[in-house]
Amino acid sequence: MAHEEVKGCVILKDLHYSVQDNTWVKADGDVVTIGMTDIAQSLAGPILHAKTKSVGTARKKGRPIATVESGKWVGPVKSPVTGEIIEVNEQLAGDAQLINRSPYRDGWVVKMKASNLEAELAEMTTGEAAVEAYRQKIEQDGIACTHIDDSDTYD
Amino acid sequence: MMALDLSQNKHADVSYEEKERLFEEVKADERWHHVLYGCYECGICVAACPSARFYDFSPRVIAQAVAREDIDLIYTLMSDSIWDCSQCFSCDRCPRQNSPGQIITVMREVAVKNGLQTAKDALQGYGRIIYKIMATGSQVSPDMLQPDAFPDWGTHVYEIAENLEEWRRALPPETLHTTETGWKVDQKTIIELYLIWHMTGVMDLIEGVDEGLFMILVDVMEERLEEAGYDDITFD
Repeated sequence: MAHEEVKGCVILKDLHYSVQDNTWVKADGDVVTIGMTDIAQSLAGPILHAKTKSVGTARKKGRPIATVESGKWVGPVKSPVTGEIIEVNEQLAGDAQLINRSPYRDGWVVKMKASNLEAELAEMTTGEAAVEAYRQKIEQDGIACTHIDDSDTYD
Repeated sequence: MMALDLSQNKHADVSYEEKERLFEEVKADERWHHVLYGCYECGICVAACPSARFYDFSPRVIAQAVAREDIDLIYTLMSDSIWDCSQCFSCDRCPRQNSPGQIITVMREVAVKNGLQTAKDALQGYGRIIYKIMATGSQVSPDMLQPDAFPDWGTHVYEIAENLEEWRRALPPETLHTTETGWKVDQKTIIELYLIWHMTGVMDLIEGVDEGLFMILVDVMEERLEEAGYDDITFD
């Protein structure tokens, strides 16, 4: 998969990103898979708990779809789209560090049926623009990504 | 000896009027007239202060700055130094009955109420503790003992973190057989706590300091309150 690495942080070019909230979206029709970015997992540190909202929960863009806890940090995963949660990653309940090891693949958080996808995707960034946006953010905030053992490689 | 560096303002400067407004809010606190009487410069507070020993911090500077009403310096202190105080109140042994520790308490509260960046930065590390106490009723949880969070515990913390459930099950009271919360908290107690947070305006303070944390707490609390029959309470 085409990707770029900035200060150790992996950015996949074919995903859409809400850069501010450090989430990614992969759309398949009006169903979207949502997850945390490599930067988000790195900033959080080894994750202990990732509690998703239940299937059937309706969420507006910007509202929490999951709560993520690491040793000393807690924060929401904010929904980058408006819609209804139709599937949650059940594996996270027993192994939240899947998000650390595989933020873009096995560590996805929820799938949602989006109701305003076209407009909301247009507000996100993708491809080279996403790489550039993250490059700026990484430099501005002095971020360098770290990965725990057995993390995905993108070669 | 390391000199106090008070010239560096670590956060964005604001207008003199804004600094004055913040200090007026500090002085309007009802505790104000019981915590500051004047300063001999005897240094007893500094001698007693553990933070002064280990950080670039002096309770005497705090007491003198507010006594002189040095608005610029007070703002500089609010933007950094006040968070170095460990709130042990050893400085209460002041012969003039000043309490730099309590002056700092008031300054911190004003910083939090006004959502100053300095408060956000200082409290960031406490987010999970606030989440724990407000969402679960116990402020610390055994699973906070992680090597990355407490490296100062030494290599022993790896062993504790790895076998945490076993360690906890070894404790006699069943209410302590938990890893995500300090102990099992009764649902009724949790609902009472949520109502207290709601009624006392604590949630408003949190919203000003950590929007993400506020969002999570609202989510947890509204759901549980609704289940308990309080469906007319919202925090937004």
